[in-house]
Amino acid sequence: MNTLTDRYLAATLRSVPTPRREEIASELRASIEDMIEDRAGSGQDATVAEREVLTELGNPDLLAARYADRRLQLIGPTYYLVWLRLLKLLLSLVPAIVGTVVAVVDVADGKGFGAIGSGIGVAIQVALQIAFWLTLTFALIERFKPISGLPDWTVDQLPDVPAHRNISLVDTIASVVMLVATIGYLPLQHFQSWVHEPDGGNIPILDPTLWSFWLPALIVVLLATAVFEIVKYRIGHWSWRLFGVKAVLSLAFSLPLIWLALSDRLLNPALGDRLSWLAEGDNRNTLGAVIAVGTAVILVWDLIDTTTKTRRQVAGA
Amino acid sequence: MVSEDVLKTHLQELRRGTVVVASLVALRRPDYGYALLQRLTDHGFPVDANTLYPLLRRLEDQGLLTSEWNTEESRPRKFYRTSDEGESMLERLLGDLAAVQTSITGLIQGVDR
Repeated sequence: MNTLTDRYLAATLRSVPTPRREEIASELRASIEDMIEDRAGSGQDATVAEREVLTELGNPDLLAARYADRRLQLIGPTYYLVWLRLLKLLLSLVPAIVGTVVAVVDVADGKGFGAIGSGIGVAIQVALQIAFWLTLTFALIERFKPISGLPDWTVDQLPDVPAHRNISLVDTIASVVMLVATIGYLPLQHFQSWVHEPDGGNIPILDPTLWSFWLPALIVVLLATAVFEIVKYRIGHWSWRLFGVKAVLSLAFSLPLIWLALSDRLLNPALGDRLSWLAEGDNRNTLGAVIAVGTAVILVWDLIDTTTKTRRQVAGA
Repeated sequence: MVSEDVLKTHLQELRRGTVVVASLVALRRPDYGYALLQRLTDHGFPVDANTLYPLLRRLEDQGLLTSEWNTEESRPRKFYRTSDEGESMLERLLGDLAAVQTSITGLIQGVDR
């Protein structure tokens, strides 16, 4: 015998606890036959009736779960919030710490910039491990061991109302990362620019003589800007005083850059020996002008944008 | 216009507990699964077979129903009957159901208790 009913019963009973299997089987078979008989009695074809009855009873795994009073959820409402809070807490701390430690160790091993990659890789792996094991633990607790004495929620746990912020953390982090990357690029291009001399030596993109004053000065300005971004985030909104500092910092970075670009002191003269198009005609001056104009456009746009934000937030305060 | 889905969910919520009460009342007269399903449906308690059959087993496990196999008819059937325990539980449940109805009526009429 291998009718649809037999197959349905087998599929259902597979996941019902053994001691009750026999009895449930006989009862369920009788019920199914009753239902089919009832439909067939009103003139329906027996095969069609069987299909309809089994369809009505639905997925056998679901039916079995109801018989066994089994939960069809990984983590139920009792533990979900505790699970979520632990997950957030662990993910916000552990991967970053482990990743940083690995990166620092790699740097100490002399791996240079590759250390950032291995740090990020380890951090991702740690995050996956934490998420998996924590979820597994809670899924098991959900099934086997009811925990008593979970701390009850109290009003004391209410977090402070967040300060009224017009400056988002994401923007601040993005700005600081960009600034740090720019600061990092300046020495990097000196030693590793991917433009090489015929004998394999490295040709810096920027004129090495700038290191005597201008590049260190620009790095100081960039560092000051990074500090400014963090201070601005702590304050939480634009004010005209902040706008003034921001304008000074922007000018202190952009004006020297424009001046250097226009007077052809920015790019390394040795570049022309390797990149022949740079040596042709006016190309060198044109490139300098493009850099100068680009910097000026960004400067003006940034100042206008900041003015708008400051005016709106000072008015709204 | 209320969405059909929302209405369906709320009706389901409202009806959920009443299936137990209806079964305990109906099984004062012993019956087997499918016959009970039909009686409940006829009396305005439409219930899915895949809900009712496991529910009967659960009520039996809780001692609210007793069961007996009847092998005299064409096929063996398991007959359930409301136990004494089930009867006293049913009285509490019916009392609560009446209380809900009273409270709702009172609320509708705006009468303070």
